[in-house]
Amino acid sequence: MKSCLSLVLVLLTTAVALPRTGAAPAAPDDRSVRQELVQAMLARGAARQQLLAELGESGSRTARDALTAWTREEVYLYTPPGASPVPITLEDQQDADGKSRAFRIDTGAPLHDASGRVLKFTSDDLPSVDVDMRLRSTIQQALDMLSLTDPDPEARKSAIIKLGNSGKLQYVPILEHRLAKEPVGSVRKSIREAVALLRLNSADPKEQIAGCDELGRLESIGARDNLHRLLERANVAPSVRASAKRALHAIDGHVAVVDFFGTLFRGVSLGSILLVVALGLAITFGLMGVINMAHGEMIAVGAYTCYVVQNLFGTGFGFAITLPFSFGGHPISFGLHLPGLNATGWLYQSYFIFALPLSFVSAALVGAALERCVIRFLYRRPLESLLATWGVSLVLQQVFRMVFGANNVQVNSPGWLLGHFTINDVLLGYNRVFVIVFAVAIVIGTSLLLTKTPLGLLIRAVMQNRGMAACMGVRTERVNLLTFAFGSGLAGLAGAFLSQIGNVGPSLGQNYIVDSFMVVVVGGVGSIVGTVWSALGMGTADQILQQVLGSPVMGKIIVLTAVILFLQWKPSGLFATRTRNLD
Amino acid sequence: MKTESDSPVAKPREGGRPSGEAAARPGPSSILRPRRGQSQFETWGVVIAALLAIVVLPLLNAETAATNPLHVSDFTINLYGKYLCYAILAIGVDILWGYTGLLSLGQSLFFSLGGYMMGMYLMRMIGDLGQYHKPIPDFLVFLGWDHLPSFWVPFASFTFALAMIVALPGTVAFVFGYLAFRSRIKGVYFSILTQALTYAACILFFRNDLLMGGNNGFTDFKFILGHDLREPGTQRGLYIATGIVLLAVYLVLRWLSTTKFGLVQRAIRDGENRVLFSGYASSQFKLFIFVLAAVIAAIGGALYVPQVGIINPSEMMPDKSLEAVVWVAVGGRGTLVGPILGAIGINALKSWATRAYPDLWLIFLGTLFILVVLFLPGGVVSLPAELRRLWRKFKTRRTPEEESPAAVAKPESLKG
Amino acid sequence: MFKLLRLPLAAGVLAAAALFATTSRAADKVIKVGVLHSLSGTMAISETSLRDVLLFAFDQINAQGGVMGYKIEPVIVDGASNWPLFAEKAKQLLEQDKVAVVFGCWTSVSRKSVLPVFEKDDGMLFYPVQYEGEELSKNIFYTAEAVNQQAIPAVDYLLQQGKKKFYLVGTDYVYPQTTNLILFKYLQTKGVPVENIGGGLSRDAAGKVISAGKYTPFGWTDYQQIVADIKQFAASGDACVINTINGDSNVPFFKEIVAAGLSPSDCPVVSFSLAEDELRSMPTKDLVGELGCWTYFQSLPTPENKAFLSAWKSWLKTENYAGVVKQKRAVDSPMVLSYDGVYLWKAAVEKAGTFDVDKVRSVLESGEISFNGPGGKITMQPNHHATKNVYIGETRANGQFKILKTFDQVKGEPFLLKHLDEELAQK
Repeated sequence: MKSCLSLVLVLLTTAVALPRTGAAPAAPDDRSVRQELVQAMLARGAARQQLLAELGESGSRTARDALTAWTREEVYLYTPPGASPVPITLEDQQDADGKSRAFRIDTGAPLHDASGRVLKFTSDDLPSVDVDMRLRSTIQQALDMLSLTDPDPEARKSAIIKLGNSGKLQYVPILEHRLAKEPVGSVRKSIREAVALLRLNSADPKEQIAGCDELGRLESIGARDNLHRLLERANVAPSVRASAKRALHAIDGHVAVVDFFGTLFRGVSLGSILLVVALGLAITFGLMGVINMAHGEMIAVGAYTCYVVQNLFGTGFGFAITLPFSFGGHPISFGLHLPGLNATGWLYQSYFIFALPLSFVSAALVGAALERCVIRFLYRRPLESLLATWGVSLVLQQVFRMVFGANNVQVNSPGWLLGHFTINDVLLGYNRVFVIVFAVAIVIGTSLLLTKTPLGLLIRAVMQNRGMAACMGVRTERVNLLTFAFGSGLAGLAGAFLSQIGNVGPSLGQNYIVDSFMVVVVGGVGSIVGTVWSALGMGTADQILQQVLGSPVMGKIIVLTAVILFLQWKPSGLFATRTRNLD
Repeated sequence: MKTESDSPVAKPREGGRPSGEAAARPGPSSILRPRRGQSQFETWGVVIAALLAIVVLPLLNAETAATNPLHVSDFTINLYGKYLCYAILAIGVDILWGYTGLLSLGQSLFFSLGGYMMGMYLMRMIGDLGQYHKPIPDFLVFLGWDHLPSFWVPFASFTFALAMIVALPGTVAFVFGYLAFRSRIKGVYFSILTQALTYAACILFFRNDLLMGGNNGFTDFKFILGHDLREPGTQRGLYIATGIVLLAVYLVLRWLSTTKFGLVQRAIRDGENRVLFSGYASSQFKLFIFVLAAVIAAIGGALYVPQVGIINPSEMMPDKSLEAVVWVAVGGRGTLVGPILGAIGINALKSWATRAYPDLWLIFLGTLFILVVLFLPGGVVSLPAELRRLWRKFKTRRTPEEESPAAVAKPESLKG
Repeated sequence: MFKLLRLPLAAGVLAAAALFATTSRAADKVIKVGVLHSLSGTMAISETSLRDVLLFAFDQINAQGGVMGYKIEPVIVDGASNWPLFAEKAKQLLEQDKVAVVFGCWTSVSRKSVLPVFEKDDGMLFYPVQYEGEELSKNIFYTAEAVNQQAIPAVDYLLQQGKKKFYLVGTDYVYPQTTNLILFKYLQTKGVPVENIGGGLSRDAAGKVISAGKYTPFGWTDYQQIVADIKQFAASGDACVINTINGDSNVPFFKEIVAAGLSPSDCPVVSFSLAEDELRSMPTKDLVGELGCWTYFQSLPTPENKAFLSAWKSWLKTENYAGVVKQKRAVDSPMVLSYDGVYLWKAAVEKAGTFDVDKVRSVLESGEISFNGPGGKITMQPNHHATKNVYIGETRANGQFKILKTFDQVKGEPFLLKHLDEELAQK
């Protein structure tokens, strides 16, 4: 059944995912580029440099793909019997043995042996075309030239900036030529910046001043070093010096603005992480009054679920534990092996979508078990729930170690969570934007659940007055169970997200437990709104202090001290729930 | 603020019960009125244990040959010295938690502060015998100092170090406690705040610029009061000193628990509002106990450092405090022997289990702990009483629902 | 090659001995050797593999007839990532088990905590993990990389590759602090201006630099700010990052680096605490081309290394010690330096003809004891550090390193700060 399913999925991906390199049909002028590529790969020294420079001018997409593969060591040398070596690339798609078809660089066609049979290899079968750091930077230069015509504006931009920093005036006409054709505004800005940077190297003071003024207008952050270097040069005209200083002043002002908004964004993103992590605790601790020290381990359950799902989409997941006892001479051991789907491409990338709900469910199940076995006896003894759940946390950590190993496990981020975009030089990572959206979504979801659904009504009733709710016929035991499972599930979701930005290991939860409790206590126990504000406040304060003090450690210490002092002033947090109780 | 007492189910309190019923359900609260037999049993037990630990063991170590089967090795003496320091820490946790109902997760901070103060004295005593053969501690040379920072200077005096062992943790506890108790922080909030304090101090001490040795802390000690720390005799002396300090702490606290002060202390645990209404300034009582517990922990730490030979910030990690709470809970809180038994027992178990079952050790500890909290809230000390109660129940054939775990794991009086 | 030949040779000698000597007592004689690593707690991640490789080395030696005919009997104790416990266990090894030598410790603080014990009981410890130097005890032999066998060659390489700006980032403890301070001074002696060294400086009251670089606490997970800072620092090109972040925190750091689009061709990161073992938990596909510097890489193509790896693999298949993980094992520099330590000790014992610590020490201090290990020839110097090859490598998608450059036979030098200070003063 399972293998059948995976077969279907594999077929599906084969149909959709085209091999990344080499599969494009060879156009007539493409052939010469391919020949040049092969020559470059087989050549040495100066000839290689020359060929690479020519390839840089070619503007060919084939050249770009092949060169990129080369820097990643994904171009291999196949030597047919009695012939000279042929550079090839392997397609992404692998068969059951982990082998894949090879495509010749020189023709773009699949590689056959003499009898016409298609040859397949694994990446370890063949030597790769050698590349070291210096060659990589030469290839990179060629790629940069190619990138000037890249369809992706970001790639064009980084290539342009590199050319600007090269200090070679011969690039000025090339860049200006490109400026006329460039459709995207931000790329045009980069081109102007690069041209201005190159002009600084000119011998003509007028050119230099024009460059400085342009850089000042463009508020180019990368140009600061170049301007400083210009100022340090001995033979600089006073007028150039003055305009360089003006430009630096303008740029410094811009940097302050960028730092401000950047810090704000990072603060909100850190706040969102704290919020996601603490929201589950706001339910179990805030509403139910259970001090769940195993909250961190619920987060870890979510993160490990993500890891397992990833492996199920990949090569499968298994573990085996041998206990140091024996029973009748046989060591007691047990294990599990789940086959994987061996998915690739977009299907593999989408594992995270499946992992999110599953991490909620798995953590909720663990939470429910914890509630049934331990916590339900302790509703009247909150301090003891702290101790018992700490015991649970020790046990769970060790179980993680036994099942997944003491090492951190490798969780790959899906491609759509890697990367970033910039708004006015402020860097916004996709994963960071995602966590903010994610936090907003689960806060809204949680508050809707608590305020708009019958279950929410029951939860609130039971949490406010357990005895009275029981008298009204509410099955409090079941509501307790559901609430605790829900809180734990939220922690699991947090774990799934943390697996994308940090490491997944047995002590993952320990890193967040102190912070989570702080967030809930500062926000006001029992108040979801309070949790939101305190998480955002603490996140932003942390980032601002880091920026101002330049030291993450001191920032953290100050935040903790401030929290302690804040609670002296407002012992029940930002949003206190009013009760008529004395305690 | 919302705590469990919002629910009316949790209302009944031990205080209002007729004495007969309380006696029928003993547990930690029975300390209020210890049975005479039990008290005498405890007294004799303590006398015998103290004689054994303070007189007999060191004698066996010093006077018998290594081949003698009764011989106690230097290693064992050193190991038990360490356990006794932990017992001092545990007893400090207990007077806060078991007697006053304040669960402090900051005791490891005070323990380490005491240790650091002693460590500073010991570092000064190294003289120029360090790696660099300079008159200042190695890590300062390392950080580019060529003279002592001013706050290091007076630590050449043992008396000053002793004073600081008491004064610094005492002051920190006083300031923190004053602020916390004034704004009526209690229960779980108090635990979480003390944990935050410890965590903040911990990452502060990891910093090199604090000039307290950073992550490596203090180590490579050579002399204490002119005695070579590497001599078995010195270690034996430290062991005896630790034993005597533990005994003294025990006696003082035992005396304190019989005074009116002790009564108020336990009343705060069982119903702070009633204490307030009766005209007692409960916050001042709590402050005193908090400072006292901090000083006890600090003394334990000060004795610990010369015996184990190292102090670094990982001793301040919040889970070290929790570990101390485990010892108390397992031993039996609300008693004075419980924490001592718990600290020595669990650490001996740890020494053995980390060697025999390194993989399963944490699972043992965690499970043991969950079980004790759920089914034996009074700890190991209450085991005889619990068994007696079960026996009586069995004889009188009570109704089945009272046999449920919730009823076994009872005392309201122990809640935060 | 030599080792490949030695195995059958030793087996032959043994067989001959068994034939001629009717009552051979050689097999009955044992010598106790201590292994002191954390097998539980936070450091277990790294240290258990050192225990494994030590067991492998002992089995290998025992199969060849032991040390001077004595079989090695390992006494394994668990330091449990708890520094006072390390001292306790060291005492136990030296005073109760009376071991001839101890192989162990990973963190500097664990070494510092056992050092007084070894000096008091006059024991001998082999320490295998890169460290900050500034220490020399007559009871410790450091097969570990000193700063001039790791950080300084790496920086030399980067300077040679035309890098002009260096950003220093690390975890806040003694190894990164010291390494970065040394590098700060070293870069200055190489003519790199202070403003091209990023991460921030802190100075004492007199204006002397006491700490260089950006530091985060242990277990830190938020590297947004630092990476944004690096991004600005690298905006003008020719920059690189010197990373001394400890273990766990590397994952969030590199994930942030990837998210910010800092590619190795623009701004490579050279890491000193990431070896093959750690790379197993990293998203290596996104990190191709980042740099590492060690005295051993698993990908070394030498015959010694190949023989070592195949022996290690077949040992893993057949051994049945409790707790040794068999699957997905990587070998890295600390493991190989542990292994080298065992053979150096064996060679010294055989030359001294006794297990006596004083005599073995003076043989080791002669500077003539060397071993052709998997990472190349390693020689114990009179100053208790080792001369060995240093390799620069870059990461590949499969979690291995591709070797870019080899520095032959670099001498270990523990006290660098003083020399650099003198050199700077001369300028």
